[in-house]
Amino acid sequence: MADVRDIMELERPPTPEITRESILGADKVKKRISTGPKVPKRPEGMHREVYALLYNDTKDAPPLFPTDSIRNNGYKQTKIKLGMRKPRKWAWIPFTNPARTDNATFYHWRRPSDEPKEYPFAKFNKKVDLPSYTDVEYQQHLKCDGWTKEETDHLIDLAQRFDLRFIIMADRYDTEKYSKRSVEDLKDRFYKICGILAKLSGEKKIYTYDAEHERRRKEQLKKLQERKPEQIEEEQFLLGELKKIEARKKERERKTQDLQKLISQADNQNETPRKIDKKLPKKKIANPSRPSRVDTNHILQVIETAGIKFPDYKNSGVSLRSQRMKLPTNLGQKKSKGIEQILQELGLELNPTPTEEVCLHFNELRSDIVLLMEIKAALSTCEFELQSLRHQYEALNPGKTLTIPPQLLSGNSESEIKVASGEIIDVVGSPGTPSNT
Amino acid sequence: MSGGMLYGGDEIGALVFDPGHHSLRVGYAQEDTPKAEIPAVVGVAPDDVKLEPEVKPEDGNVATNQPSYKYYIDTAYLHTPRPNMELHNYMKDGMIENWDLFEKILDYSYEKIIQSESQYHPVLFSESPWNQRQKREKLTEIMFEKYKVPAFFLVKNAALAAFANGRATALVIDSGATHTSAVPVLDGYVISNAVVKSPLGGDYLVLRAREMLEAAGIDLTPASLIASKDVIRDKDKPRFVKKKLSFQTTNSWMSYMIKKTVQDFQQTVLQVAENPYDERQVANIPSVHYEFPTGYHQDFGPERFKLAEGLFDHAMLGAGYIAATSAGMCDVDIRPALYSSVVVTGGNSLVQGFSDRLSRDLSSRSPGSMRLKMIAANGTVERRFGAWVGGSILASIGTFQQMWVSIQEYQEGGKSQIDRKCP
Ligand SMILES: Nc1ncnc2c1ncn2[C@@H]1O[C@H](COP(=O)(O)OP(=O)(O)O)[C@@H](O)[C@H]1O
Ligand SMILES: [Mg+2]
Repeated sequence: MADVRDIMELERPPTPEITRESILGADKVKKRISTGPKVPKRPEGMHREVYALLYNDTKDAPPLFPTDSIRNNGYKQTKIKLGMRKPRKWAWIPFTNPARTDNATFYHWRRPSDEPKEYPFAKFNKKVDLPSYTDVEYQQHLKCDGWTKEETDHLIDLAQRFDLRFIIMADRYDTEKYSKRSVEDLKDRFYKICGILAKLSGEKKIYTYDAEHERRRKEQLKKLQERKPEQIEEEQFLLGELKKIEARKKERERKTQDLQKLISQADNQNETPRKIDKKLPKKKIANPSRPSRVDTNHILQVIETAGIKFPDYKNSGVSLRSQRMKLPTNLGQKKSKGIEQILQELGLELNPTPTEEVCLHFNELRSDIVLLMEIKAALSTCEFELQSLRHQYEALNPGKTLTIPPQLLSGNSESEIKVASGEIIDVVGSPGTPSNT
Repeated sequence: MSGGMLYGGDEIGALVFDPGHHSLRVGYAQEDTPKAEIPAVVGVAPDDVKLEPEVKPEDGNVATNQPSYKYYIDTAYLHTPRPNMELHNYMKDGMIENWDLFEKILDYSYEKIIQSESQYHPVLFSESPWNQRQKREKLTEIMFEKYKVPAFFLVKNAALAAFANGRATALVIDSGATHTSAVPVLDGYVISNAVVKSPLGGDYLVLRAREMLEAAGIDLTPASLIASKDVIRDKDKPRFVKKKLSFQTTNSWMSYMIKKTVQDFQQTVLQVAENPYDERQVANIPSVHYEFPTGYHQDFGPERFKLAEGLFDHAMLGAGYIAATSAGMCDVDIRPALYSSVVVTGGNSLVQGFSDRLSRDLSSRSPGSMRLKMIAANGTVERRFGAWVGGSILASIGTFQQMWVSIQEYQEGGKSQIDRKCP
């Protein structure tokens, strides 16, 4: 209300006149004021909106969380507890470093409260293991043309100082006393010494360093690095040409493959009509609406392309050999399950180590497995067909029985069915389903 | 252990000194800039000269070790003209030459900059990659014997600059006042046989700029000799009043002050062209206006590039050439590593366009198949104080604390071990 009055610039109720009641009932009056929204006077010149922002304590939404501090005497007396704990002290404390041999003390800032430990960085003090030899050993085994013992000692000393960084060792080689030596010379001598000493101590595996090979390698590398821009350009150009040639080759291969496919398809097409031509007339008379005839042909066709066609990895650059053993993704789960099953029955690993030979045989084996499965499936379909024909025959000619010549029945297949029991029957049986239609 | 294992740092109150031809950089390790940069020049004047009241030095700033001479150190004292004050640079060829004067500078550093006693602080010194053995030993001796430092270490400034740029292996191109050098650093070790240097640095630019300015008849009177000057129009004859001095300034002081004047000109105006200098190409680039202490001012156009070109156009001494030569002297196995981190440091590399041009020149000289990467700190401070910053980092690394040559070791093994212990 006060707000509205403010907006309308109406007079506020004048301060109550001082009467007896007002003096006596001062308590009452005060209470009434404090219960109602307490509105202190807006200072002259202050905008109403700004003022409203200032004085909205009592109109605040209630707090979302129950706060302790308000109940326990409000905010005033609760101190923030941040500074309650005494800060731990830091002190400039001497330390010794076990990585040093001289016991020198240095100072650093540390908490005296932390109990002193070994200097934490000392553990990074790693040294390389270097060969060492006695005078006698040197005389007996390590003598070498062109190297004195002093120079050899110098070499070992440098190796120790520069942690086997041979390039730096060659750089800091004492050329006043000894003649200049290349990195390969130093490595050669050093690794020879290592080898001899290792042999003496009975180690089996001796590493050798081929300085000549290294020199040639560096020569090559140098040539490679120092190619002129034109040479690099030429190389790039040739590489580009090579790529083009390869692309063309691939294209040609693809085309011949396509052509072959077309030819084989054409052959098949030539064959199928012939078969149908031969058989259809009879069938049409016997039972014109029999669809299973085509299915058989279809199955035969499948068998022709059976096995697994593994992708050719020859031309696709570097690859792992194990890659070649991957089954093609278009194989289908049923077949790969079947392969797994048979491999397990044969007691073979599913992922043998892919040596060249293993790769070849393993792939052949699996290809044969698939072929076998397909043949079996085809066989069972044919048998099913035969049986259903027999039933049809018997239904059409009641009283007569059709004796199927035994060579058509898979008499020998019985034993196979026994072997391929269990799930494989499922695999085998499945292609037969279309003939139900 | 404030840094803790996490950062691998452990600060032990070490000091880092990086002496150069231009200046000595001094400060505490683990700080990111030196506390002070003191010109590498000491003023020496006979003590008995009656000084004018206005230039009376406060006692502390003047070392009076020798009774008959007074030594003036640091910019404010050097720039004031004094009777018979001769200026001397204690450096020569990147190495400390005048040990007496250098000790004066060290005294001053401890007293005025560090303000703490030398016996409490291990000291890490930078040195030029070609520093001589006896100079290293001499410095070691002075630090242990005279300053009683608890520990001492010497590192090649190129290696430090590489560290400051986060590299342990780098080809460091350091362009300072008196020379530009190409220094291959492998795992923190300088390959000393492949260091190549040329005498073309900041001073060379100053020299050429001075010749050019004097030939153009421009008055190079330094600011500290000018009492007042008038504002004049472009290219007008300057009108200024010289300070009245009752004495003749020395030649060395005068040439130092003129050098300072030209140095300022050089730093503001000069720029290296992107391609080898070509009058026509450069003519289109906006000129730069410069006002000399005398009040004379004018635009500088193609001269800016012509002068700076001196750093690169020299057949055998150009920065790109020495960089390629240096890399070419290293083992083929490490060249790719060097080319892939070419660190550019030193105050003179701040001449505008320096690193771009270096990159161009170097790539045209480097093997075609090489990947080239230039690492040049952006900030002027990082560039000028590259070696110092590297020292500051190194001396506050926990694993470095085992490397110091301690005073115990010095007392047992003598100064000659410095060559073994500081590679
Ligand atoms: N901002 C800048 N622009 C151009 N040159 C600069 C700049 N700052 C410093 N210089 C030059 O760098 C040189 C000093 O480099 P610095 O690396 O300190 O040399 P030094 O190591 O020999 O003491 C001087 O010649 C100075 O003129
Ligand atoms: Mg320098």
